[in-house]
Amino acid sequence: MRGHGFLLANYVPGNSLIHGSPLALKFLLVFGCGLASFIIQDWRISGAVLAGLVGLFLLAGAGLKRLWVAVRPLAAVLLVIGLFQWWQLGAPTAARIVLNILVCVVAASLLTATTPVQVLLDGVVKAVGPFKRFGADPERFALTIGIMLRSIPYIAGTFADVRDSARARGLERNPRALILPVFITSVAFARQTGEALAARGLGEAED
Amino acid sequence: MPVVTFDQVTVAVETDHSPEPKVLLDAVNLELKERRVGVIGANGSGKSTLLRLVNGLVQPTAGTVSVNGDNTVRAVRKVRRNVGFVFTDPLSQLVMPTGREDVELSLRRSIKNGTERRHAAETALERLGLLRLADQSIYELSGGERQLVALAAVLAVDPAVLVLDEPSTLLDLRNRELLRRTLSGLEQQIIMSTHDLDLAREMDRVLVIESGKVAFDGGPEEAVAAYRSLCMDGLQTQGPGSI
Repeated sequence: MRGHGFLLANYVPGNSLIHGSPLALKFLLVFGCGLASFIIQDWRISGAVLAGLVGLFLLAGAGLKRLWVAVRPLAAVLLVIGLFQWWQLGAPTAARIVLNILVCVVAASLLTATTPVQVLLDGVVKAVGPFKRFGADPERFALTIGIMLRSIPYIAGTFADVRDSARARGLERNPRALILPVFITSVAFARQTGEALAARGLGEAED
Repeated sequence: MPVVTFDQVTVAVETDHSPEPKVLLDAVNLELKERRVGVIGANGSGKSTLLRLVNGLVQPTAGTVSVNGDNTVRAVRKVRRNVGFVFTDPLSQLVMPTGREDVELSLRRSIKNGTERRHAAETALERLGLLRLADQSIYELSGGERQLVALAAVLAVDPAVLVLDEPSTLLDLRNRELLRRTLSGLEQQIIMSTHDLDLAREMDRVLVIESGKVAFDGGPEEAVAAYRSLCMDGLQTQGPGSI
């Protein structure tokens, strides 16, 4: 299993300005980048925002290698999207869309690389707190985010393993040999995770 | 020492191949109060089902299971607070990216303050000599280290009973020895299934499970001998052509 650090960078301990920034500010940055990806119409602005985020990532001491590991699984998908959009809408639009996706991924990675998961979960619990009166369970929200952070890299890693197995059997061009095992493994992972959480009494309503 | 009681416990599941339910455990009666209880048997004999009943992960079709008098169906939340469960594959058990975060996850319910929780997680990891691995990704740990981190996450909430489902199956000799030493130093009551007969010999009491029934219940040496005998009988019945 090679799922470690795919798509979202793992936490890197440090004392940088970004590490010390309030969680709400980092949340706002990710939210703002997500929003901006719909608003920005010029690929040069997208490029500048991406460069700024990469700069912040390096400033945090997380390193280019970690960033590359996080975005590498997206490369093939971005290439396909980019080529399709180029063919349909031209080069500037294709560049803007690809750069905007990268902006979102790098912003999210900046958050996860500079914030310990437990601090992130505490932040979610605090943010969901006011909705308690409507029946929301903040701890369950936090647990869901935690599991999502763990599951995305796991499934990405599963895909890499399955692709190697398919290659070894000469089936790398057979989509069924790739998709079906990933699907089955993901369902099995979900079941195992559910069982592990139940065994530990996690995710149950508060007493 | 806690007492785990099985009273006429049967577990049966529906299958696609047969109109009759498949019986995984058949009318099992047990009272487990020894400090170390081993469970051995062939693959598919019902060992895992027996262990999962103790934590309430599996519910009996008939009969009752209780831990210190608490029914594992009616009082499942209380039972799970008292019974820790360690799975064969630690990767399916560890749900956070690093050991420290996973232990902290275990403690979220009992300790609300983040700093206190962090300190308690460090203490739990330190107890098993794992503090140096606290911030490493679980993917970077060896199989044995992962299994010990999973164990630390379970022990952090101080359960009275520790159930382990074949914890050494995926481990090499060195890591198996590391796990064995760690388990021997624990105060909890341990109920553990294993294919490692050397490990089974260190238990106070060993159950041999065969086709959903307790085929032998007694001292470790006699149990291992009974299990070997069962295996030999099975091979002779099948004959060489079936191997």
